[in-house]
Amino acid sequence: MQWIKEDVKQYIQAKEYVDTVIVPLIPYHLSKDSELEKNAFQSEVLSIFAKEIEKELSGRVMLSPNYYYLKSGSKEEELNRINSWSGDARTQPFNNIFFVTFDSAWKKDEQALDGTLIWLPGIQSGDLKSNELHSFIHDQVEQIGEYIKSYW
Amino acid sequence: MSEKKQQVSRRQFLNYTLTGVGGFMAAGMLVPMLRMAVDPVLQESAAGDLVNVGLAVEDITNEPQRVDWKIDQVDAWYESKVGKSAWVYKNDNDEIVALSPICKHLGCVVSWEGSEQFPDQFYCPCHGGRYHKDGQNIPGTPPTAPLDVYESKVENGMLYLGMAHPRGEA
Ligand code: FES
Repeated sequence: MQWIKEDVKQYIQAKEYVDTVIVPLIPYHLSKDSELEKNAFQSEVLSIFAKEIEKELSGRVMLSPNYYYLKSGSKEEELNRINSWSGDARTQPFNNIFFVTFDSAWKKDEQALDGTLIWLPGIQSGDLKSNELHSFIHDQVEQIGEYIKSYW
Repeated sequence: MSEKKQQVSRRQFLNYTLTGVGGFMAAGMLVPMLRMAVDPVLQESAAGDLVNVGLAVEDITNEPQRVDWKIDQVDAWYESKVGKSAWVYKNDNDEIVALSPICKHLGCVVSWEGSEQFPDQFYCPCHGGRYHKDGQNIPGTPPTAPLDVYESKVENGMLYLGMAHPRGEA
């Protein structure tokens, strides 16, 4: 399920079946030319990624809107805000909260996150229309799906 | 005095422009809404055509296999590629069956023999929904309807699939 009217309507009626939230964590900045392309690309890929996972598991998973943060910003502040997203979800209750990201910076703060971090390494550049990328995403989605299911 | 005069005219100017923008936005909203209202048939056809899913009929066996393909979907706001999938096999009468993998409970994707405990069944990982090979839901599991069935045809030895319909309506 996604953060759209149709889906939340369904969610309200089927709450007891939906216990998992996925929050994509996506860095954003305009300050470092050399990184722009890579970061924008990763942002695109992660959004597709998150949507694909949601599609496979949509009956039990709520995909939150992307969480964007300034790449150079204070991680501590972001942690507070992110955990307040978790806190809000936990009131429902959503028992499983997953953060997906390409940004390795979160690895350091994994313990402080209220939820499970899924850090996806690699993928620096590529062509979103290419078959290689599609099958790459497909494989990853499958693996991450398995991982999420192992929490159920 | 002259300043006051100028203020009035500026306000008027703003007023005019805002009305203009508002009118423009209203018109912009009306166009797709009108299209949706008068032209549902046209929209259907974009998704309703049967497409080649890249599977040769000779490769279809008694064992359900998952096929994935993409279609162009047009809605009021954008045109996009949408991924579709199906479970395809030949039944005992040698007819091709293409089932939608979307669980009728809350929409997760089911897999053939997705659970080792339940061989010969479709299994939904989300809440343990199960279906027989023909798509019939198994009572006592969450789904209350059989899996949807795709319209299908064979042309030049290739499988073509269209829209999925609830069983019995196809
Ligand atoms: S979505 Fe398949 S059993 Fe609930």
